[in-house]
Amino acid sequence: MTRKAVIGGIGHTEFGRFPERTAFDLEVEAARRAVEDAGLRPDEVDGLITDPGPAQGILDGITPHYLALGQYLGIDPAYAGSDILGGASSAAIVQRAVLAVEAGLCSVCLCVYGDSALSSPGSFGYGRGDDAAFGLFGAVGLHALAARRHMHRWGTTSGQLAEVAIAARAHAMRTPHAQKRQPLTLKQYQAADSIVEPLNRHDCCLVSDGAAAVLVVSSDRAADLRHMPTRILGHGQASSLSTWSSPGHFDTLPAARCGPEAFARAGVSTADVDVAMLYDCFTIVVLMQLEDYGFCERGEAGAFVAEGRIGPGGSFPVNPSGGLLAEGYGGGMMHIIEAVRQLRGIAGERQLDAPEIALVTGHGLGMNTHSTLILAA
Amino acid sequence: MSATGSEAYPLPQPTTFTRPFWEACQNRQLGVAVCRNCGHRFMPGAPNCPQCWSGDPDFQSVSGRGEVVSFAVYRRTYHPAIPAPYVVALVQLEEGPRMISNIVECAPEAVAIGIRVEVCFQSEAGFLLPRFVPVGTGSTDPSISSPART
Repeated sequence: MTRKAVIGGIGHTEFGRFPERTAFDLEVEAARRAVEDAGLRPDEVDGLITDPGPAQGILDGITPHYLALGQYLGIDPAYAGSDILGGASSAAIVQRAVLAVEAGLCSVCLCVYGDSALSSPGSFGYGRGDDAAFGLFGAVGLHALAARRHMHRWGTTSGQLAEVAIAARAHAMRTPHAQKRQPLTLKQYQAADSIVEPLNRHDCCLVSDGAAAVLVVSSDRAADLRHMPTRILGHGQASSLSTWSSPGHFDTLPAARCGPEAFARAGVSTADVDVAMLYDCFTIVVLMQLEDYGFCERGEAGAFVAEGRIGPGGSFPVNPSGGLLAEGYGGGMMHIIEAVRQLRGIAGERQLDAPEIALVTGHGLGMNTHSTLILAA
Repeated sequence: MSATGSEAYPLPQPTTFTRPFWEACQNRQLGVAVCRNCGHRFMPGAPNCPQCWSGDPDFQSVSGRGEVVSFAVYRRTYHPAIPAPYVVALVQLEEGPRMISNIVECAPEAVAIGIRVEVCFQSEAGFLLPRFVPVGTGSTDPSISSPART
């Protein structure tokens, strides 16, 4: 029988500002919680793949992140590595874990994201190579270029971007561990300081200290798991590495390529998606993904999100945990964890009505990378 | 997320591949890499033509004229040597390649997608950077300025 991979455990820390804790401290806690959640023993972990957060990278120029974390965890895995795809890394490392487990390289693969970005000033405000000479700092500048084009080409309004931010904060009010649990009004959104026009403070995700982990397990261990396993129906990954000098770079994401591939592998369609966990580092990225995945026609995402459609109680809830904009910056791993919670039916006050299919996305670097997971109860 | 590090201007760090570009700028010339095999013009410089993978690309001067593909107005200062507000733009050169630069000598409110711009060279810490100034208005390239839904 072919080995299938499932998600067997989830775990995470609180998200917020914890200057007294290192990223490794947070990551070890998340890893321990994920293994406990699965009901497995630490010595059964035989795979480790990590998503080092933006503040970490390669630690000292020599030591890769997984090596240091594996040392702290005291494990000797059969399969190990780190992937650096920016915000696409979390879903990408889970994809890699699925491939490794299904190929028989390991059976219990720990996937860990962690960072202490809030306690590491400037970690998101870095210059972009030589383009720093022109003041291009932070991911926000590139996303502002994309937002400006979307507004210009399609008439998308700041009020439509606001819908994404307002929905995220409304969702997060029902997420006990969320970093921002206060509602956001349109008036507050409009009054906020601009960061890089056309994006203001509320268009930008939170910065957090925190860690999250997912345990990818071979289905032949399903009987040993404490909770109902989450199936992985499909996965995909695509990158656009030919730089932003390429035509169309700021108009579409690699999601337009790997999204349809992932759905084809899963044997389901966008119409089957009950819960959409869309990577939301900036509001504009949610709109672009709605188009790139085909939830609406190109140029119509602004109208798609209007009138609370993606908020709590809306007809197409996006990121019921609040996502990066309100739950906290959890790489993309917290998006996966919320999908698992929704599919298990343990999301508490924010639980959707028996969702069966979840889409999880990751998006990273200079809008260069994208990853897709399609999960099922 | 305040600016960190030294107060020194974050100047480009020319590499083997980008040195021709930055050296030309010091002579007030804008240039791009050109493939000797397929004629593809590209930037930044690279060891190979990114289109046909032929080696040893040539470097040629270009007109310095282009159009604004998109722009972002920085209202927050990220580096003490580059105080906000300023405009970062993606400029499509007449010859094809797109580059990140600044739109200067006009109010941020005067910048728009599709406006025509021309290169100028401004000194930062004694190093000439290619920036762009608006020259009249009106794009001729529908892929830049026109709504795709027509």
